Amino acid sequence: MSTAPNQLLADDPLEPYPLMVGRPDDRTVTEDVLRPIWRPTRKGWLMLVGLGSVGVALFGLAVTVTFAVGIGAWGNNIPVAWAFDITNFVWWIGIGHAGTLISAILLLFQQRWRTSINRMAEAMTLFAVMMAGAYPLLHLGRPQFFYWLFPYPSTLGLWPQFKSPLLWDVFAVSTYFTVSFLFWYLGLIPDLASLRDASKHRWQRMVYGIFALGWRGSAHHWRHYRIAYLLLAGLATPLVLSVHTIVSFDFAVSVLPGWHTTIFPPYFVAGAIFSGFAMVLTLMIPARRYLGLEHFVTMRHLENMAKVILATGLMVDYGYVMENFFAWYGGNPYEAFAFWNRSHGPYAWAFFTQMTCNVLVPQLLWFRKLRTSVAVLWVISILVNVGMWLERFNIIVVSLHRDFMPTMWGIYTPTWVDWSLFIGTIATFGTLFLLFLRAVPAVSASEVKELRRQLDAEAAGGGTHAVPHLSQTRPEAS
Amino acid sequence: MPSMSDRPSLPAPSDGDRSERPDSRAALPKLWRNLTELAGAPSISPEEIPPEVGELVHLGRRGFLQVLGGSAAVMGLAACRPPHEKLVPYVHQPVEVTPGTPQAYATAVAIDGLATGVLVTSYQGRPTKVEGNPAHPSSLGAIGTFEQATLLDLYDPGRARGREVLGQPFALRPFLVRASELAASHDADKGARLRFLVGPSSSPLIGDLRRRLLERFPRARFRTWAPLSEDARTEGSRVAFGQPLDPRLHLDKASVVLALDADLFGTDPEALRQSREFTSRRNPGPDLNRLYVAETTLTVTGGFADHRFRMRPSEVLGFGQAIAAALAERHGLAQLRPLGHSLPAGSPHLRAAAAVAADLARSRGKCLVAVGPGQPPAVHALGHALNAALGADGATITYRQPVLHDTQTGPDGLRELAAEIAAGQVDTLVCTAWNPAYSAPADLDFGGLLRKVPHSIYLSTRQDETWARCNWKLGATHPFESWGDARGRDGTASIVQPLLAPLWETTSEAELLSAILGEGRSTYDQVRDLWRSRARLAGPAFEQAWSAWLAQGIVPATAEPVVRATPRWEAIAAAVGAVKLPTGGLEVRFAPDAKVLDGRFAENAWMQELPDPITSLCWDNAAQVSPATAGQLGIDNGAVVKLTCRDRSIEAPVWIVPGHADGAVTLPLGYGRATTVPQPVELDNKPEPLANGIGFDAYRLRRSTAFWFDAGLAVTATGRRWTFAVQQGDFAQEGRPHALSYTNGDWPKQGTHEVEEHRGPQPVIIEPVNYDKEAYKWGMAIDLSRCTGCSACVIACQEENNIPVVGREQVQRRRQMHWLRIDRYFSGTAEDPVTISQPVACVHCESAPCEYVCPVNATVHSDEGLNEMIYNRCVGTRYCSNNCPYKVRRFNFLDYRGEMEPTEKMLMNPDVTVRVRGVMEKCTYCVQRIERSRIQARVEGRPIREGEVKSACQQSCPTEAIAFGNLNDPTSRVAALHRDERRYDLLHDLGTRPRTAYLVRITNPNPELT
Amino acid sequence: MKTYVLAKFADEGAVLSAARALREGGHRALDIHSPVPIHGAEEALGLRPSKIPTLALLAGLTGAATAFLMQWWMVGFNYPINVGNRPPLSLPAFIPIIFELTVLFAAGAIFFGVMILAGFPRTHHPVFEVEGFRSASIDGIWLSAEVESLDAHPMVDQLRTLGAGQVSIVPEDLQVVTP
Repeated sequence: MSTAPNQLLADDPLEPYPLMVGRPDDRTVTEDVLRPIWRPTRKGWLMLVGLGSVGVALFGLAVTVTFAVGIGAWGNNIPVAWAFDITNFVWWIGIGHAGTLISAILLLFQQRWRTSINRMAEAMTLFAVMMAGAYPLLHLGRPQFFYWLFPYPSTLGLWPQFKSPLLWDVFAVSTYFTVSFLFWYLGLIPDLASLRDASKHRWQRMVYGIFALGWRGSAHHWRHYRIAYLLLAGLATPLVLSVHTIVSFDFAVSVLPGWHTTIFPPYFVAGAIFSGFAMVLTLMIPARRYLGLEHFVTMRHLENMAKVILATGLMVDYGYVMENFFAWYGGNPYEAFAFWNRSHGPYAWAFFTQMTCNVLVPQLLWFRKLRTSVAVLWVISILVNVGMWLERFNIIVVSLHRDFMPTMWGIYTPTWVDWSLFIGTIATFGTLFLLFLRAVPAVSASEVKELRRQLDAEAAGGGTHAVPHLSQTRPEAS
Repeated sequence: MPSMSDRPSLPAPSDGDRSERPDSRAALPKLWRNLTELAGAPSISPEEIPPEVGELVHLGRRGFLQVLGGSAAVMGLAACRPPHEKLVPYVHQPVEVTPGTPQAYATAVAIDGLATGVLVTSYQGRPTKVEGNPAHPSSLGAIGTFEQATLLDLYDPGRARGREVLGQPFALRPFLVRASELAASHDADKGARLRFLVGPSSSPLIGDLRRRLLERFPRARFRTWAPLSEDARTEGSRVAFGQPLDPRLHLDKASVVLALDADLFGTDPEALRQSREFTSRRNPGPDLNRLYVAETTLTVTGGFADHRFRMRPSEVLGFGQAIAAALAERHGLAQLRPLGHSLPAGSPHLRAAAAVAADLARSRGKCLVAVGPGQPPAVHALGHALNAALGADGATITYRQPVLHDTQTGPDGLRELAAEIAAGQVDTLVCTAWNPAYSAPADLDFGGLLRKVPHSIYLSTRQDETWARCNWKLGATHPFESWGDARGRDGTASIVQPLLAPLWETTSEAELLSAILGEGRSTYDQVRDLWRSRARLAGPAFEQAWSAWLAQGIVPATAEPVVRATPRWEAIAAAVGAVKLPTGGLEVRFAPDAKVLDGRFAENAWMQELPDPITSLCWDNAAQVSPATAGQLGIDNGAVVKLTCRDRSIEAPVWIVPGHADGAVTLPLGYGRATTVPQPVELDNKPEPLANGIGFDAYRLRRSTAFWFDAGLAVTATGRRWTFAVQQGDFAQEGRPHALSYTNGDWPKQGTHEVEEHRGPQPVIIEPVNYDKEAYKWGMAIDLSRCTGCSACVIACQEENNIPVVGREQVQRRRQMHWLRIDRYFSGTAEDPVTISQPVACVHCESAPCEYVCPVNATVHSDEGLNEMIYNRCVGTRYCSNNCPYKVRRFNFLDYRGEMEPTEKMLMNPDVTVRVRGVMEKCTYCVQRIERSRIQARVEGRPIREGEVKSACQQSCPTEAIAFGNLNDPTSRVAALHRDERRYDLLHDLGTRPRTAYLVRITNPNPELT
Repeated sequence: MKTYVLAKFADEGAVLSAARALREGGHRALDIHSPVPIHGAEEALGLRPSKIPTLALLAGLTGAATAFLMQWWMVGFNYPINVGNRPPLSLPAFIPIIFELTVLFAAGAIFFGVMILAGFPRTHHPVFEVEGFRSASIDGIWLSAEVESLDAHPMVDQLRTLGAGQVSIVPEDLQVVTP
């Protein structure tokens, strides 16, 4: 599905793909970015949303059954008290991390290629974290008492137990969602203003006007806005690292062989970014085509993300090597068995699929031909997501199903409710993303305009000193 | 009072009686158990109208509403009312009733006529727990699974009830009339066409009724039927001594024990006493006894043995003869020579026989040979001969007159009865035996014959297969609901006193028999009169004695005297020589099931869900085969096979059991049921039969002439498969130091320093909390040298702690709720595995991994070091279970309690929370018992005494393998065991500092055989 | 009566010089509207650096303190329990929540700081009454001066001389006049 503009300059291997094809002026940028919102709904989109809503209904049904019948509706048992629920939780949280990474960390590192993809990535983060957040609630035996996990003066006079990683999760995930949302919304305000001003109908103007909060592009606004956006990026960066670190504590802090290992925090964060970028690709490759934004989201972006996947993939591989090395070198028979069991036990199929998807497949990205082929990228990105889901499955289920006491070993088999919840969250996530594409600009118009100014300046003066990127200077510095 | 209104001629209790329990009468509203009684009530002649019924006669509007309300509330309040006769609580209990405080009453539970003394904990007329009576010789304070499970039967809404004659429901009064009419019709020919088929009974009351019945109907006959008949045993003693005698094993006096196909600690009626006596010698050292077991099926006893020789049932005789031969040849017991017959060369048991013989010979007078009921009389006779020759008589084994009314309880009597019925010589059959239509040998087709009897009267607690084929159907009263008496195996008599008035319209055996006699006296009066005459006491003296008997749970000096028995060598030799054993092809062995016995506990959910002590199967039986045999037959676990034996065939799923004898198949009895249950109008959710559709019916292969085992079995695979519900995940220790075992030789020399690694302090960052300053530091110790794996503790825990039953499908999903499980490990070869069983409940770690991961403080530590679970705080994250290395936490995945019927609610122990869906639960060290003792101690202003707090599992344990108490009391047994050199901690290297310590198992193998 | 004078400029250089000129002329109530931030606008308008960073710092510290004191008091003093043999006050276990609350408070302060300092939300503003002003968020560059109604017309002339394109006057009573 690679289209003509992407191929520009591609024939010279030393020349990188352009960040932006052509030099559209501000109005054109705005029109291009807003077009998908104004234009009449397309059949494809409608069909996808319809499909999605079926999945949402399935999700609703599964949730109802779970609440009505209890956790017994799932396949969970003793020893495997956590299964699909926490697997999905970790998987979704991990996916979310790529968005924050792109919008915050790349911003701090002044990676210009983030500009036209961060909006979509952040939206993905929000929706992924919503999906993730559903599971800790659903997996409770008595979900009606979820609020007992918050420190409030209860009639029992009892407080939560602050040594429990689950409590850290509560704070981490809620903080993560809040900050991601604020960050995303703040970045959205100027474009909402554009929407307001470009809207044809009065009701559109009113609706977008309300969400734009009265943005007038005034220098007074910009001076607070720019520093605020930069600071939020600065906060989001350690936050995203902390969240998956804390999620990994759920396992690292326990005594279970296969969980109790110090390598988890970095290894989980790397895995999160790995799967997150894969998901961004999975979503963006069709989206850019559908939105007709190939000249903003160019092959350069896709290729860079492929490179990140390759790099983080290697980190994850290092994690695999290390945990197995420790299992052997540590000389703890339980630990050693836990890892032997992954590749030789009843769930070996999951282990080998995971290894194929996470270790072998990403190596294809070493080849420029492959990583610049949209189709190949898309397939790889999906395989990586499968692999990362199985990684969590292996860590959680396979470690649990055979732990210390052989007499309590057991097998976990998911029920239709387990599957419905899993598929249901994917569908809900997709539906939300589709709605997002129609409701707000999927690419940040205001940042693209700035990017164009930079590129112009470079073209003219060859230096970057003409119009600084908003991340590069503080207002008073001039 | 209703319980009187349906016992018409029972005089209203004297004021004396009434004043004895004023509280219970005042506390409870006047209710009638059901409207049928009211229908019957007005017909009573005024002078015999009990007071409450009197009010009924002139029934005002309010009264009538009361009645309706009564019939509605019946299952609840009326039910939990103590009977009006004077009960006497167990001797150690305060006599006055304090609401909320339980009382223990001594009574007895008789299985196949042999009584085990029990203490029943009762809350204002609600029995909630059955425990052993230390004063009773068959219990010694311990309690088995079956005796405990009877309590669940009591409250089971699925129990048979009511009286039905030829399809018509009868109230008691009309029924009595009807019964006496029927009896009268037999007076003409002196009962020639009247037959009784009863279960084995030792009850003097029943015996008296039988005598009086035979006086009136001299030509009537009593037959006794028990599917697990011990006829061979009786016959063996008749052969050996010329009279039926009942051998009694004294395992505490024996240093060497040889069990020939005898499940001494499993399904044997005396298992409790025998386990206690045998394990009293199970401490490491020179006094350590030794157990040889020769058997087919791997049993609890075999798993506990020091040496186990697996052989087909027919080979046991040969093995015994070989030992006799060896004793005769090499050890100078010439009198055994005619019995002896050495094994053919190449037999795998040559060495074994020689070694066992030598060992027995070494310990003459201190050894014992026991033979199981499954072996033919000749083997029993041989056993008696060996015991006599080895000087065991009088030392380790004594003989008594049997206590059962009929010494013949097996197929022979039943065959004769069947013949009579077939010949149409029986007009009335009064059947109180357990379910003969189902359990009778297949070749008799007893079920079919029953239909030929014009008047077949069946008294049963269940609407079972026989119920369906009889035309007089009577729901039987539960032993906890009626007066009676019973004798233990040694003859010690107990008065059976009811714990509560009958829950439903039911009839007791005594009531039925006296109804046929035309007598109207209440069972209570009959028992008292009988014992008054037997004791030759009267007036206050008798009342005093009576109270003492009830309080003690036994009638002193009623044990049968020991009889001197001299073996008749020639007769024995002749019998041994003459015996013909079925041979050829695969052998089939019929075995009592560890869960449902002969099938009478099939409707008992506790027993169904109890994992089989060996196979760990729940809710199923299986055709058990050895790995080798399975290999030859090309079948694996779960394969459904067709078993054909003498033109009869059944289909059964296969379970491969390590250690099972090759060339034999074991078929546990009691499954494959077709029971129905009443659908009482007053119940919201109707009970359902539990046992239908699971397991297979082995009785269909059982013939009256090959009662316990047979040969010529053909096994063919059907290609179909069956999924079992297995509680245990893996039966191997995977090289992990969980259940440690050493031989007497290796211990303590090699063992101790290895065990050192599994105990003692460890380097820690955080200084552990010091509990030594506390008054109490609760702890437990479990001695693997003593644990046989009998599973009594599992049921005790379930009964005490209101643990729900989850059902077959949930067990398959691995969601069983037992707080206490018994891990069974097989090691060594699959042919001759070493078996070790290890009870595991929450070990109450001082550094508990489960606690610090709980986000809501739902599981925390108490000052005294208990790992406490706060149900009402739990939100159900299940993180604690994931982080529990012992995997002892249980989660309410579904609403396992659901809507309980009023009677099921009565079963609940009010001291223990009934858990809701979605919360975690686990062993609490019976904290409710600790608190009760604490309150009692505070009231008396003293500390809790050693032995005052017994956990439910500890109380039930026949071998005293479990010790519980205060570790801060250096004199306590548990503290001593924690100091023991055999002590080790499970998963010690995790640093969890468990409060439950395990003691290494020490076996005593014969050096000549290792 | 206050009046806004809106002037559209061709490019950023022009609007900046215009703004400087007006400030030298003594006008302070000036503002520049543009779809993207214009480098030097703050300097041209003489705006001081934003207070947001200070705000964020203070909020972050507050969050950290709150988190620490909360846990310290709850498990250490108000209701200490023996949980798995761990000491009630175990700092390492407090760190994750301390960090999270630091971030949460700071982020909240930043976002709502912008809302307050930039006067959001304010969906009705006189400048919106000028149809052409819609371009301010798309590609238009505007300068707005806030003057007394009498000074409106002189300001218009002044802006025209400074090279403004379309100029509009919006009184607070929203009667748009286009001279």
